[in-house]
Order: sequence, then structure tokens, then C-alpha cells
Amino acid sequence: MKEASRRSFIAAALVAGVGLSVPVAAQTVSGKLVLYTSQPERDASQTVAAFRRAQPGVDVDVFRSGTTEVMSKLAAEFAAGQPKADVLLLADAATMETLKKDGRLLPYPEAKVEGLAAGSYDKDRTYFGSKLITTGIAVNTAAKLRPTSWADLAKPEYKGQIAMPSPLYSGAAAIMLGTMTARPDLGWTFFEKLRADDAVAVRGNGAVLTAVANGEKSYGVLVDFMAFNAKAKGSPIDFIFPAEGLPAVTEPVAILKTTSNPAAARAFVDFILSTDGQKLAVSMGYIPARASVGMPSWYPAGAKINLMPTDIAAVVQTNARNLSRFAELFGN
Amino acid sequence: MTDAVRVRGRFEDYVLLWGLVLVVFVLSVCPLARLALEAIAPGGRLSAAALMRVLANSTTWTATGHSLVTALGGTLLAVVTGGTVALLVALTDVRGRNVLVFCFVVPLLLAPQVVALAWLQAFGPSSPLLKMLGLAPVLGSRNPLYSAEGIMLVLGVQYAPLMFLALRAGLRTLPQELIEAALSGGAAPLTVLRTIILPLMRPPLLAGIVLCFVSCLGNFGIPALLGIPGNYVVLPTLIYQRLSGLGPDALPDIAVLSTLIGVIAVAGIAAQDTLLVRRDFRIVTASAVARPFELRRGRVPVEIGLWALSVVVLVVPLLALILTSLVPAVGVPLGLRTATLDNYRFVLFEHAAAGRAFVNSFGMSAAAAVVIVLLAVALAYFLVWRPSRMLRVVQVVTEVPYAVPGVVLAIAAILLFLKPLPILGVSLYNTLWIIVFCYLARFLVLGLRPVIAGYRQLDRTLEEASQIAGARLLRRLRTVILPLVAPAAAAGALLIFLTAFNELTVSALLWSTGSETLGVVLFSFQQGGDSTYAAALGVLTVAVSIALMLSTLVMAPRLPPGVLPWRD
Repeated sequence: MKEASRRSFIAAALVAGVGLSVPVAAQTVSGKLVLYTSQPERDASQTVAAFRRAQPGVDVDVFRSGTTEVMSKLAAEFAAGQPKADVLLLADAATMETLKKDGRLLPYPEAKVEGLAAGSYDKDRTYFGSKLITTGIAVNTAAKLRPTSWADLAKPEYKGQIAMPSPLYSGAAAIMLGTMTARPDLGWTFFEKLRADDAVAVRGNGAVLTAVANGEKSYGVLVDFMAFNAKAKGSPIDFIFPAEGLPAVTEPVAILKTTSNPAAARAFVDFILSTDGQKLAVSMGYIPARASVGMPSWYPAGAKINLMPTDIAAVVQTNARNLSRFAELFGN
Repeated sequence: MTDAVRVRGRFEDYVLLWGLVLVVFVLSVCPLARLALEAIAPGGRLSAAALMRVLANSTTWTATGHSLVTALGGTLLAVVTGGTVALLVALTDVRGRNVLVFCFVVPLLLAPQVVALAWLQAFGPSSPLLKMLGLAPVLGSRNPLYSAEGIMLVLGVQYAPLMFLALRAGLRTLPQELIEAALSGGAAPLTVLRTIILPLMRPPLLAGIVLCFVSCLGNFGIPALLGIPGNYVVLPTLIYQRLSGLGPDALPDIAVLSTLIGVIAVAGIAAQDTLLVRRDFRIVTASAVARPFELRRGRVPVEIGLWALSVVVLVVPLLALILTSLVPAVGVPLGLRTATLDNYRFVLFEHAAAGRAFVNSFGMSAAAAVVIVLLAVALAYFLVWRPSRMLRVVQVVTEVPYAVPGVVLAIAAILLFLKPLPILGVSLYNTLWIIVFCYLARFLVLGLRPVIAGYRQLDRTLEEASQIAGARLLRRLRTVILPLVAPAAAAGALLIFLTAFNELTVSALLWSTGSETLGVVLFSFQQGGDSTYAAALGVLTVAVSIALMLSTLVMAPRLPPGVLPWRD
């Protein structure tokens, strides 16, 4: 108890320090911090560089790869009894929920959550959503039809022209599957119709982008920032916000219980949730968790994106069943 | 030779033999045994739960069936194409031989997932090639490569160079006298091929077949791209599925599935080895053979066929890569106004990791190639000329780290090396050395197989003569045997280098800041949707590698004959 309260005192002092001026905090936090992340390469290096500017005393080592690779590395490290990571920044809350259930995460009750979107962070304060990554419909600009809803995709006119990320290989897609099948207006019927339409499930969002931008498929189920970043560079691609709403993942940040540098780990969480950290996310093209810092340039001005609420606990619980049903449905 | 000297010589032989056995044990057995421990005793408690769970799951057996089908199909295609090309290039008077060989070897430099993607585009509705011919399938039609046949086709194309290199090295030792005798005795060329050449070439043929089979079995990139859309699951993709649906059971499950792949690989090897037992494949002289067969009127058609093949295996994927590297973003049509070198500028000058990755990958692949070949030459000596039951086991276990998917070997290495090494107290974790270790373990068989085949074709009299003259084993290996098996060893070294250079699946889990590999950087770009950067990096890799391959021609006069496959 004493230890915990002392820690929280330091953390509180730290947060105050960050709030007042950067140099004060710089004196309090130092040492090495190991970050495992599934952010895209460019975003990961920008995030680390910005954190280093805020906390020059901390040396950051990064391991960046796909969520599956990061989690495999972690699982092996857990099994060998010596996890090396201090903080995680991973695509989806379901993964974090699994880690939390296994008792791997360190709660951070003093984290500054005021102003964050409701439900974007764990109620036990073990992981905190850093942004919102929505999934909508990407359309090749040469495509004949413009779907306006998910239900449109299930129509026969779209036969053979749809690509989506496979939930068997992508955690974010598994959340989408769990969210959409739980809804009465879509449910499994929607996926059965997609199957009848010969939709293909590819390995990840990167593969969906390539297929749609190349015109190999006209329509794709894709994350927002990838579509908009490609569009900004000139790819013939548009992004549609379906009427029923968009499932989203939150790319949460969390501290591992086994961290050897809890002070620096808390400072990292603070930075990600701070105004500066959130502005950085916006500049990379993401919807921030803290709405007050503004929206990315692609965000429809004045509009409000209709998000599909996700019950993470339910998704975690139904995940295995959903995946095997999906595998059966889309099997040969 | 005094008794004392003889005893010392024998002692040295023993030290060398057991040293080699120890090395193979550490490389091939330790990591996977550590992983297998997770299967039978997760968390240190003995349990058959994972075994039962995986074996009772019908998906496991579907995937096993699919793995067998695609691996056998891919092997067949690779063996037929690679073998035919090797025979034509080595035995007939086709022109432009060196360039052809070059075109046929370079595709090994292209990462499998890149090749698969290029083929997908080449056959899809957006294919520039098919559009030009007016054959492009209508938008929305299903790509024919998303199928078992598609996987076999691309696997076959990808691994045909393995067969080609193995057989071509073997054909270097073909004795001219036998063929001339048969031909002057009136035998038709095909009869000579069937009754003399192919029987003599059995060791390299079988070496090539096994390499292709094990490679197809363990390949992840191709079935990932072509199999996932149709949910045609094979063992490597099933393992990946289990990993991404991470639960507490993931490690034990993948350990069981990897064991299954290992069992299939070992069964395949055992099957081929029974075909070699009690046969003598020694060739008396190692005379370089002239082209014995003149194609005459058939020459032009054969040449057209060979060039068409090289277009298919090299030009299609390479062209797709180059075109993608020149556009500002995926899907932008290439034209004078849109073409840009920005991707190259970014990769070369703005992305620090790309340059570092190139140096790392080059150094680690070259080191792995050299170390493995030296190991292989010594190990094969015992395997072929002093066989024993123990050595049979040693040979078989070297195949397993190559047959399991790279990600499995990487997880095994993490389990093994996370904590500092006992006694020494140093930790390999998060250094380049853990990747080097995995390369040595994984690619050992790529060097060992061709070298063994080389030994099987050697006549031992030369070695015995130098032994009687008092030369010790190490000296005999260096001065007598190494020059004789040099072509096979070089083919093996080349295979290792080319394969490791673009390798992704092992290093994806093991890299750390400063020890990036080319595969890791490529993967990062692709995953973030930056295929144009990935393409630029891919083109640069191929360009630099080709330059390096050409530069070896300068050293060629000082190397034993046949070391460079692209030089007669």
C-alpha cells in the first residue's frame, strides 16, 4: 500500500510537471523504455521522436511489427518468463483485454482521462485508447456504383468485387466481425450475403488497399486513415461512411506489470494522452481520443461520424466461436 | 607413418566429428526442442491437452492435406522446369547460356510474397499485360490464382531455381567419356539421357527434389497471399491464424502444428533416402563436359522456349515491381507526367533504416553462407564416407528448422535466448547474433544437401591417396576435397545467400533497433500500405545483387571451375 501510494504521488507530481513545463518533468524521468507497437513504421518513429522531445532523459527502444508478430514475440517472452517490453501501443482493445485478463497489465489510476471520449479507456485504467481508427468502405474511383451503406455491399450488383481484411488473421477485423454480427440490422446474414457475393477476405488492411487502389477489386472494407493517406498521395480511391455506422478500434496504450521503469512508462502514457500527443495523432491523419485537439483534414467538416458501439468484453467472449463460424462460411 | 601419428590423427577426427555433431545439436535440435517443451509441458506442467486439442481439430487435418497437395504439386512443377532447364543449359549447344542462367537464378532474390503479388496482378482484371492482349478478365471476376492450383504454380516458379542449381552443379561432374562412348555406339540422345545421365545424376536430382519439397512445405508468403482469400488453409497459414487469434493456448498449439510439419518433412526425406541406399554414384573423373548434344534444327525453338520461360519467371514479377516503384501511389496509372523517382529518393536518403537493413542483410547472409558451407563440407565427409546410424539422425534433424515456418523458429529462438546464456552470462537477445543463429539453423540444409550430393559423385581414391601420403583430415578437406566439391558447395552458398537476403519471417520477430533486415523494412512498408516504397526497395535490392553477382566474374579465373553457375 505504502509503495503504491508513494508511486502515485510521484506520478501525480509528474503529471503536474508535464502540465506546467517540460523541463521539470525531464529531470524526474530517465532511463530506458522499451516500446512494442503495431503502429505503421512512420507513425511509430514520429511518436517516439515527439516523446523524446518531451522527455529527453528517456531512451526509447522500439520493436515495431504487425499485431500478430508483436503478440507472438510477447507470448514467447511471457513463456520464457522475462518480458522485455515496458509499454505497448497496439491496434485493438480486445488484445489488451486478453492481456488484462491474464494479469499482465499495470493499472494507472491517475492517468489523465478527462476530456477523452467516453468508453475509449478501460474502466480499471489498465489501457487507454489513443485514437479512433474507423472501418468503412473504400471505393475505386472507376467503380460504377457508390454504396451508401453496409447493406448495399450485400446486394448482387457487387458480386465478385469486394475485398475485406480476414478476421482470422487481423485482430482489428475480428473486432469488426464481433461488432457487426452482434447487430440485428446486419448480423450473420450480412456475412452470408457477402459470401454469396464472392467477397474475398485477404490478410490485412494493406492488402485491401492494394487490391482496391489497383482496381483488382472495386470495393474494399478498409480503415479510414489508409484510404485517406493513399488518396492524398494520388491513389484513385474514395472512402465512404456507411449509414449504419462504422466499427472502430482505439489503438490503446498500456503498461506491462513487469516494467522495470514504471515512471518512464507512465510518462509515455501521459504523453500519448496529452494535448501534444493527441495533436500528433491528428497530424498523422487519425481521429484523436481527445476531441478538443481538432480533427484530421479528411474529416467531413461539421459532420459527426456515426460510430458503431463495440462491447469489448462480449467480443472477447464470442471471438473464438465467431472465427470458426467465419472460417466455415468462407471455406471452400 | 608412425603409430603415434596415426593415433593423433584418429583423435583429431573424433574431435572434429563430435564438434560437428554438437554444432548441429545446438542449431537444429535445441531451439525446436525448447518449443516442443511448450507443447507437452506448457508453463512447466506436463499436459497432453494441446496435443489432443490440435489433433482432434478437423482444420488441422484439412490443412495437412492441403499442405501435402500443394507441396507435392509445387515440387513437381519446380523439378520439371528447373531440371529441364539445367539439362538443356548444361548439355546442349543453346546460345546465350550465361545470361539465361542469370535470368533463372535472380528470381530467388525476389521475396515470395512480392512474386505472388506480381503474379496476382498479372492475371487479374487490372493486369496491364492482359489488357494489352485484350484478354483481361472482367472487373470482379475471381482471380484464378486464388486456388490450390495457383499456389502450386507460384511455388513451382519460385523454387525451380533450387532444382536448377542443384542439378547444374551435379552435371559439372558428368564424365565425357561415357557419353561419347554411348553416342559413338549409336545410342540416341534421349537414350543416353535416360540410361546414363539421369541415373548418374540421381544424388543431385534427389537433393533438388527434397529441397523443393521442404521449401514448398514451409513457405508462408505464397499461400498467405493466394490461399487466405479462398480460405485454402495450409499448415504454415494455420499456424499464423493460431498466433493472431492469440489466447493462452497459442504457443502449445503452434508447437504441435510445427511438429506435424517436421514429421511430414522427415517422412519425405526418408522416402527419398531409401532410393539412394546401396547404390554407387561415384564418377571416376571430374572432367568438365563439353556440350555433347547438338540441337541442330531444334535449337531455335528450344531457345525461344527458354527465353519465354525466363520472361515468365523473371520479367513478369520484376516488371511489376519496377512499374509500382515509379508511381507516386498505388493505382496511379504510370505515364510521363505521373512517373517519379520520389520512392527511390525516400528509400535511399530519407529512410535511415533502409540503408542499415541492406548492410545487415548482406553481412548476415554472406556470413551464414560461408559458415554453413564450411560446416557442410566437413559434415558431409562423415555423412557420406563414414556413415553411421547416429549420423543418419544428424542429417535428418538438419532439415527440420528449414521445414517449419520462420515465425516458429523465431519463437523457439526467443524461448531459448531470452535469458542470458548459462555460464557465459551474455545475452544474444535483441542483437544481430540471434538472427545469425537462426539463419545458420534454418539454412544449414540448403548448403548441406548440395554438398552431400557432390560427395556422392566423388571418387574417394584421391582422398585416400593423400591420406596414405600422411595428410591429416583437416588438410585433406582443405586441399583435396574442397576443390573437388567446390561447384556443389558454391551452389549451396549461393542458395543460402539469396534465400537469407530477402528473408522476412524469422527476422520479423527478432529484429531490434539497429538490427533491421531488408525483409523487415519491406514488410513494414507493405503493411502500412506503402507498396511503392516497398517496390523501390525491392528493385534496388535486385539491382545491387545483380551488380554483386556480375562482380564475381572478376574473381572467376582464380576459382575452381564450376563455382559460379553463371559462368561456363
